[in-house]
Amino acid sequence: MLRANAITKRFGRTLALDAVDFQALPGEIHALVGENGAGKTTLMNVLAGSLAADHGEAILDGLPLQAGSPRAALAAGIAAVHQSPMLFERMTWEENLALGGFDTGTGALDLDAIAARARSLGAKLGFEMPPDGATVENRSVAERVRLEVLRALSFNPRVLILDEPTSVLAPSQLAPFLDLLRNLRGEGRIVVLITHKLAEAIAVADRITVLRRGRVVARTTPAETSEENLAGLMIGELVAEPAPAATPSHSGAPVLQIEDLTLDDHTGRRILDRLSFRVAAGEIVGIAGVDGNGQTELVELLAGARQPSSGKIKLLDGSPGATMAVIPQNRDLDGLILDMRLWENLILARRLREQVTSHGWLNASHAIDLCRELIDRFRIRAPGPETTAGALSGGNRQRLEVARAIASRPKVIVAHNICRGLDLAATAEVHRTMLDFAFGPGRGAVLLISSDLDELLAICGRLLIISRGKIRETDPGERDPQRLGLLMAGARD
Amino acid sequence: MLSSIAKPFAALALAAALISIVLAALGASPLGVFAALGEGAFGSWYACVDTVVKSTPLVFTGLAVALAFSGALWNIGADGQLTIGAIAAGAIGPHLGNFPHPIAIAGILAAGCLGGAVWGGLAGWLRARRDVNEVISTIMLNFVAVQALSWVVHGPLMEPSRAYPTSSPIARAAQLEFYFAPSRINLGMLLAVVLAAVCYLLLFRTGAGFELRAMGRNRRAATFFGVRIPALTFWVMTLSGALAGLGGAVQVSAISHRLYEKLSPGWGFEAIAVALVARLNPLGIIPAAILFGALDNGSQAMQRTQGVSPELVQVIQGLVILIILAFDTPAWSAVREQIFGATGAAAAVPPVAEMPDA
Repeated sequence: MLRANAITKRFGRTLALDAVDFQALPGEIHALVGENGAGKTTLMNVLAGSLAADHGEAILDGLPLQAGSPRAALAAGIAAVHQSPMLFERMTWEENLALGGFDTGTGALDLDAIAARARSLGAKLGFEMPPDGATVENRSVAERVRLEVLRALSFNPRVLILDEPTSVLAPSQLAPFLDLLRNLRGEGRIVVLITHKLAEAIAVADRITVLRRGRVVARTTPAETSEENLAGLMIGELVAEPAPAATPSHSGAPVLQIEDLTLDDHTGRRILDRLSFRVAAGEIVGIAGVDGNGQTELVELLAGARQPSSGKIKLLDGSPGATMAVIPQNRDLDGLILDMRLWENLILARRLREQVTSHGWLNASHAIDLCRELIDRFRIRAPGPETTAGALSGGNRQRLEVARAIASRPKVIVAHNICRGLDLAATAEVHRTMLDFAFGPGRGAVLLISSDLDELLAICGRLLIISRGKIRETDPGERDPQRLGLLMAGARD
Repeated sequence: MLSSIAKPFAALALAAALISIVLAALGASPLGVFAALGEGAFGSWYACVDTVVKSTPLVFTGLAVALAFSGALWNIGADGQLTIGAIAAGAIGPHLGNFPHPIAIAGILAAGCLGGAVWGGLAGWLRARRDVNEVISTIMLNFVAVQALSWVVHGPLMEPSRAYPTSSPIARAAQLEFYFAPSRINLGMLLAVVLAAVCYLLLFRTGAGFELRAMGRNRRAATFFGVRIPALTFWVMTLSGALAGLGGAVQVSAISHRLYEKLSPGWGFEAIAVALVARLNPLGIIPAAILFGALDNGSQAMQRTQGVSPELVQVIQGLVILIILAFDTPAWSAVREQIFGATGAAAAVPPVAEMPDA
């Protein structure tokens, strides 16, 4: 049995965990649910030894765990899969797994043996493995999560803790993943699933613990509760914000036009294959797809961080300086510089940087004022513009990115998986901001690229599907998640 | 800001304590040694001036390194860039006799800038266009520069009598003059101070400087937001080389007046320590360079009066750097916060993945 006794953890002036008691039994899937910032990840980090608690202790089968030592936690049989994949980007997937428990124990590095063991375990779990010697930096987020799960399981742990593992999975990948968790439970392991997707928690968990602002507010089972009930417990009162209704597209003038956009990687593999589509003012267009089908590269092309092999990206709006704001998917790696201040992160956006620069000189106080204004307007919970971005919670980092995009007054916003890892309230808020941008007086154009079909169905007027680097339009009336899910998985019709 | 200045001094004190133990173990009197060190470095007007003279090339090369490092461009080649700058200055210097003094000075310094800029820019171009790691290219270019200097003073630039492996002295008009002779105060020092201020403004008050720092912190994010990485890489390495080259020209124009082998005792490498001690802050380069210059200068007095080897000074320098780097850890920040309370918003919040929204 895994027990946490009265765990307290404080960051500066903030109480992240307040005397939290937690218990999980062998052969159960225990869901740990809560809003962003409720303390779920902190609790996982304490259990997995990544953080030392200020008070309290973690006990596995009667033996106290050494605080603050991931190595000791692993040795005791606790493995964790973190929300932001902790992989070595420039190394191959085999090398990444070499840090796991697949090694031969002789001290020699036998990558072939490691790969073979990983493949056999992967085959048992139904994982499709990357090609031999592929480096991690080019793999999709879903593949990275699979690698992390494999690495965690390579230790043959008695306890597996997973932090929001499903938020990066496509609908078609979800069911097999939940089956995997059930199999692990069947083997008598303890599975702790951290999530804010309540349906998932109810579907798969045996017991559920609800955290709110660092405290346990409920311990329950799926039979005794419901999604509404859990949402109320998580948020504190029953104000689950209704998702904005899907809005029909009022096509205005086309603003963004993509023509025959093609990208081959350096080995000549075709990543994007003659994409053509347009996005008009006053509409939200969604691109649905399973991660790793060319979305990341498309966003890089749109952001100008890469050059296409052929084809064109045109901003058609007649006004000079029509601009595009890009919100890349990987907040911490691509969108923010965590050890820079909030106002400095703000002026990463070219338009804002130009706005606070005259004749080459940077007007920092101007940028700080702008940042303070945006902190208020977008309700970013931060002490002030001088805070570093790394000190914000995930939800607030995303608010900062959205604020930055809106503040640069673009004609087009391109957003990639913007609600990944956000809770209900934060998701609704981001969606509302996008709807306001598209249908407000400015009539902006939004291109929303996501693997979350529910999100796209909720706010997109028009839906495209990307699969293996090709894009196709769906029928205007097509709203059936099952059929769309099949298209995302690559079905022809 | 205050703490970033106070920290190096605390580190220095700790280094002094450690070195005292070493000295005592060797049977020398720590107090006597430190007194001699201080006396030699700052004990008289001339000692002070000499310390500043010794620090001047370190300011130029320190700025060169700080600028490049701010963009995560690891320029290990300040020594080579300084050397090429010195060669350019030493080559043009003897032929400037017919020009008015200000023009001759401008000419010799411009030659040094240009020489260093070419050397740094070459490494920058290789990185930007051919993706050659600048650490490798700058180290290799150091070797080339040192051998080039050796070759020119034995070959094309050798003085006319061909008795000594040095170049002809530069023209009088091209020499930065000494004020308050026989002290060696010269305009090169003022230039170094001005450039430190300019570099500070460039790095922290301009859009280009911001882009450079953003590139240094997160290259990929910078790419996403339209920073033109290759162009910036090339220009920063060029500018970095120009600063180091200017340092070489100032040395030739003000102090050595001619070229000879091993002109630089390793200013370009010591500059890396200077820049790191200054935490890449151009304004911090000046005190950091003076610290290293004073240690160099004081070591001679220490050797003279206390019989301690000047190598010990290098031990002290090494300890200072190690301790400063050791001070720069989260653990130290936490201790400081406990003792002094949170000094700023940025210091008060933890760099941890999840912090509650409340």
